[in-house]
Order: sequence, then structure tokens, then C-alpha cells
Amino acid sequence: MEKVLKKDNLRDWVIALSSYEVHAPAFEDEVWNFKQVEKPEDAALDHTNTVKPPKDFSFPQREVYCEFAQKKGEAPMVTETLPALAAPKVVFGVRPCDGRAGPRNDTVFSKEFDDIYYWMRRKKVAQVGLACNTPPSRNCFCTAVGGSPHSEDGLDVLMVDLGDSYLVKALTKVGEEIVKAGGKALGNASAADKKTAAKAKADAEKAPMREIVDIKTVPENLQKNFDSEVWGEMAQACIGCGICTFLCPTCHCFDINDEVTNVTPLRGQRVRTWDNCQFPDFTMHSSGHNPRNTLGARLRQRVCHKFLYFVQNHDTYQCVGCGRCISECPVGIDIVAVVNKVAHDVG
Amino acid sequence: MVNLQDIKDRAKALLENGEVGAVVGFIESTAGNLASPKFITEADQADGLIWDPTCVHNLALYLVEERKRQTKAAHGHGAAPGGEDKSKRLAIVAKGCDTRAVNVLLQENYFPRDDIHVLGVSCEGTGMVDRYKLAKKLKGLQAEKTEFDGNGYKVTTTSGETVKVAAKDVMADRCLECRHPHPVIFDDEFGEAVEDRGLADAFAAIKTVDEGSTADKWKFWGHHFDRCIRCFACRSVCPMCYCEECVVDSINMHVLQDTSAEEKANRIKWIERSATTSENIGYHLVRAMHLAGRCVDCGECERVCPVNIPVRLLNSVLDFEAKDTFGYDVGMDPGQPSFVSSFRDDDPNDFIR
Ligand code: SF4
Ligand code: SF4
Ligand code: SF4
Ligand code: SF4
Repeated sequence: MEKVLKKDNLRDWVIALSSYEVHAPAFEDEVWNFKQVEKPEDAALDHTNTVKPPKDFSFPQREVYCEFAQKKGEAPMVTETLPALAAPKVVFGVRPCDGRAGPRNDTVFSKEFDDIYYWMRRKKVAQVGLACNTPPSRNCFCTAVGGSPHSEDGLDVLMVDLGDSYLVKALTKVGEEIVKAGGKALGNASAADKKTAAKAKADAEKAPMREIVDIKTVPENLQKNFDSEVWGEMAQACIGCGICTFLCPTCHCFDINDEVTNVTPLRGQRVRTWDNCQFPDFTMHSSGHNPRNTLGARLRQRVCHKFLYFVQNHDTYQCVGCGRCISECPVGIDIVAVVNKVAHDVG
Repeated sequence: MVNLQDIKDRAKALLENGEVGAVVGFIESTAGNLASPKFITEADQADGLIWDPTCVHNLALYLVEERKRQTKAAHGHGAAPGGEDKSKRLAIVAKGCDTRAVNVLLQENYFPRDDIHVLGVSCEGTGMVDRYKLAKKLKGLQAEKTEFDGNGYKVTTTSGETVKVAAKDVMADRCLECRHPHPVIFDDEFGEAVEDRGLADAFAAIKTVDEGSTADKWKFWGHHFDRCIRCFACRSVCPMCYCEECVVDSINMHVLQDTSAEEKANRIKWIERSATTSENIGYHLVRAMHLAGRCVDCGECERVCPVNIPVRLLNSVLDFEAKDTFGYDVGMDPGQPSFVSSFRDDDPNDFIR
């Protein structure tokens, strides 16, 4: 189903979606991030890309697994808590790279068994994508990892900017419902509209982006150069923070902790929180030994997870080329440069 | 004016003469409009050094990191960069604020003076660029490179345009407010000390926040603490945050066969992993308190924050208190007694009630 939405009518579409919780990028504190739309007239899609990806909607930084309590002399009580089932969400302005992150995370949370916490949220999130006619960042490289600035993968709806209007294409059943709900806010797409969108797509795919050299050989070369000293050299400036991983749309490592809120009587929660391979306690054994004890080993883990292990396990790159880890790294560590160097430039 | 060639030549000479094992300086990164810190170990690599308004990093951090790395390597955990047989002295390129961090580390005996070599570079009439201010100024264009240009900056965009901006319009707040843009400790000095920069009053930003009522301040900080994703970049980038065991991650509790359940349960875990309001406040306030009279206001914590939380204001408020209440200027001299472990008989104490 393809429709056309005049830019001025975005507001009406958002109003028509009142049975959903609508989120869109908002510019606050000088940064773009997804935010629930409070006033429909504020919804605009003039963002670059958000600093935080939309992964939080399905995989929040903190998820409570269960609550526990124990009265003195009694057996402990455990109560399962599942994500509160709020209204279904519609997320506007998802960039195609972040759209492609969805199916990758779905695989992780369902290959061996369905992670109920993830899926209860995920099933309630519809992603309305916004194609990139020009790359929003100088560090974009979706095309280098099998994506496209107009990719439809993982999205429910794709919007393409046509100037004064958007071509709106429903891609899933949920997407069709959302577009239908818009009613008269959206009109029928003409042949000319579709042609303009196709031209925008062709142009966008030709636009220069960061490049990964000969990506097909990258996994095997990373494997071959696993013990290279270059990892350590490239990680020398790394400060070991959580930026590159916490902001990554496909990083999904987590940690489980019991957080005690009251000591006597004992009360607390078992929570899952984001974890990441750059922190000093990641993969630390209880003995204190950590097999990944250097920044080089940690950088290698991050890059190899994206470009080697994920390929081995799931037949696709885990990185979708959003460029966040490059643009936000405080010291300029650049995954594209690291991949190119280790895969192709190590003697 | 700072002559970059002089810095390169000096770095080269230090390496050639074997006076240092490495020079930590700035090179161009591939990430766009940002320098990258680099350990230079061979003289010919010194040609890659740069000096521009994106040399934001406080390289005193690497003096700390390298020392930690060497201690680890001595215990057989991972190799130290720069090789084993090189002299372990390390040189850094340092701006005014960075040199004050060096002084604090010297006061705290983090390393002996002889182990380090400071290539002090003056910020002269300007300072470092603030990416958010610059982005606003460029109205949709993206910066690829920023260079000094007298009292302004010359910015080259990703689309190849050249835009000239007045430095004071896009400079980091900490640089506008800087009281010591010239290095205060150095072995070599580059550039001139510029007096009377007249850019902004010292502590201008913190004073604005401080004017509000307590309720206003809670509102301001509550909003920001709730946005924190606890990536700990603000801690990791701070040269003063060198604790082996930080309250946020317990890494020195080693569980052995005879470690009891009680000991495990009682391991240091003062702040939970959850990025909730209470834990975030705990994290930030502990950090701020630990920086009293130590924070040199290099602003790195604020600069690295991916969601733009004004972390610097939290830490520099104690810097302000140290100055305002006790007349203490942080990091001016390595022989200066440290702020929290010294007192004078006439120190004011009427705030203790
Ligand atoms: S690579 Fe950059 S963002 Fe990642 S941990 Fe290192 S310093 Fe932080
Ligand atoms: S690894 Fe970096 S570029 Fe790739 S998806 Fe993650 S944040 Fe984006
Ligand atoms: S850098 Fe920012 S988001 Fe990260 S822990 Fe510090 S204040 Fe929080
Ligand atoms: S607290 Fe922030 S401003 Fe102060 S020394 Fe540390 S990084 Fe620099």
C-alpha cells in the first residue's frame, strides 16, 4: 500500500493515531532523541539521526525480571514481573540502518528460545522509517554492510521525502493498519510520486559513504589476524567507556543483578541491565581473572562480534552502519578504520 | 603563535635521544572534526602531530593509564605499548588545564616528576571548540576540520565549504571561563601567554545555575540525571578518576573456594547498575565529592557525554567553592598542599552548623 502525506498533514496523522503511544525524534539539550509526542503539531521529521537508537523500545536499559521478599523465619517469595503492557507504540523517524537492527536483535532474542521480556515489548512497537535521501552523518556506512539508505528491512512503514510531501509505503500488516488509521490525512500516491521516490532511492544509493574494503573477506581476515598487535595499537587511546556499545542499535549484552531495596525484611528485585564489552568487569571471572584484560582485547571483542562471530552464528553482519560509535567516541576510534586496518592492512 | 613544527621537532628529538619512551600527542582522527590521542613511539611518526581547536582531550589521562598499564604488565597482564626496553618516561602535549591536572597528580604522588615530560602548549587568545555550539552555528552543515585562525576558527565542512567563525561564539564554556590558558608546569613551552582575554567571567556558567532556588536546582539536575545512561565516559575520561576500585563497579572482589556467601553478598556495591534516578544521583554526587579541590575544570567529562549532560557544572561547583571559600586555586603548583588534606588556622568555618 502506497500513499502520499503532505508534510503539513503529519500532525493529522499523529492525531489519528490516538490509540497508540506515538514517539518521534525531538531536539532537546542540543541532541536528537526519541520522545513521546505530546503535542501533535510538534511532530516533525527534520532530524539527522538520534543519539540513542530505537532499541530501548524493545530492550530497555533496565528490565525487572522478578521481585523477591523474605520475612524472618519464612521461605523467600519470588514474584514474576512482566513488562507492563502499555498501549502499542508507533515510532516515527526510524532511520533504515536502525530498522535493520530490529531483525538482528530479534534473532538474538529468539534463536534458542523466545525471550519473553523482549518479545512482550517488541510486539507492541511499530517502526515508521524515514529514508535517508542524503546520509544524515558523515560517518554513515549502511551500504558497506549490505543495507541501503532506503532499506525497508525491519520497518513497518517507510516514508520517503519528496519535497513538500512524503511517499508512505506500508510494509507489514501492522504498517497497513497505521497507514489506514491515518484516513484522509494521507492521499493516494500518483505514478509521478512513485517515480520521484524511486529516483531519490537511486540517488541516495549512489551517494558517497564510508567504505569497508572487500567486506566478504573481512570475517576470515579478522579470524586470521586475531592475535595481531594492531588491536592493541588501535585501542591505545580508548578510555574504556560504554559509549560505543550503549549507543549501538545492535549491541545487546546484558547483566543480571539482584538489587536489594530493603535489608530487613529482605526485599528487592532481580534486574537485567545493559552491559558492555568495554567495561572492566565484563567477562571477569569470579576469581578475578579476566581473559579480556586489555583495551585491545576489548576492542577486538566488539569488532569481531559485529563482523565475525555474528556472521558465523547468524549469517549476517551485526553492524548496520549507523556510524554512532564513530561519531560519539570521545577519542575518535573508528570501527570502519579498524576493520579496514585489521582485515586488510596487517602484515 | 604556536608553531606546530616546533612541537614536532621537539617530540622527534625526545624520541631520538631516548629521553622518553613515547610522546602522547594529537593526530587527526578519521571520525571527523576531532583529534585523536596517539602514543608516538618512533621519531618519524611525530610528523603526524597536529595542533588545532579539536585537540580537546586532557592527555594527563594517559599518564595515569600508562602507569596502570605498566603496573599490570609487571604483574604479567598484557603488554605495555611502547615496548619493554624503552625508557618508561612519557611525554604529553598539554594545554593550560591539562598541566594543572599534571600538578594535581604530582601533588598526589601518582608518579614522580622525573617520569614525565610536559610539552606545554598555550591556548593563547582562544581555546577548544564545542561541538554543539559549532553545529548550531553551521546550521545543518557538518564540520570536517577546524583550524586556528587568529581570534577565530576556520572550519571546513564535509561538503567542502570554508566557514570562518569568531572563536568566542563556538568555544567550549570551560575555555571561555578559563583562568589559566597558559601551561603552569612544563619542560618545553610553545606559544605565548596572552593576558586579559576578556572572554567570560570565571565560573560564569556555574553561577547562573547557582542563582536558582533549591527547587529550581533539583528540577535542573533531576532532568539531567534522569537522562544519564551511565556509560561512565565522564569518569573514564577524567585524569582524576584513577581509583582502582570505583564505587560503581566492584572489580577487586576475588571469589575463591573459601569465600563465604556472606562475603560475596557484602562486596562493595554501593551503587547499582540500574540507571535509575537514585543510582544516577549516587554516581554523580560521589564523583563530584571525590573531585573537590582536584577537578581542574578541563571540561572533558562534559565534552564526552553523548547525551550532553552538563557534568562539568557539578564538578566545577566544588572548584568554585575551593576558590571562593578558601582561596584555593587547583593545580597551580606541584608543591601546593592538596586541598582536602590541608588546613590553615584561619580557614573559615562558619558554614559548619
Ligand atoms: S572505543 Fe571509544 S567509545 Fe568505545 S570504549 Fe573506547 S573510548 Fe569509549
Ligand atoms: S557497530 Fe557502530 S556503526 Fe555498527 S551498528 Fe553499532 S554503533 Fe552503528
Ligand atoms: S558521560 Fe553522560 S551519559 Fe555517560 S555516565 Fe557520564 S553523564 Fe551519564
Ligand atoms: S571532573 Fe571533569 S572537568 Fe574536572 S578534571 Fe575531571 S574530567 Fe576534567
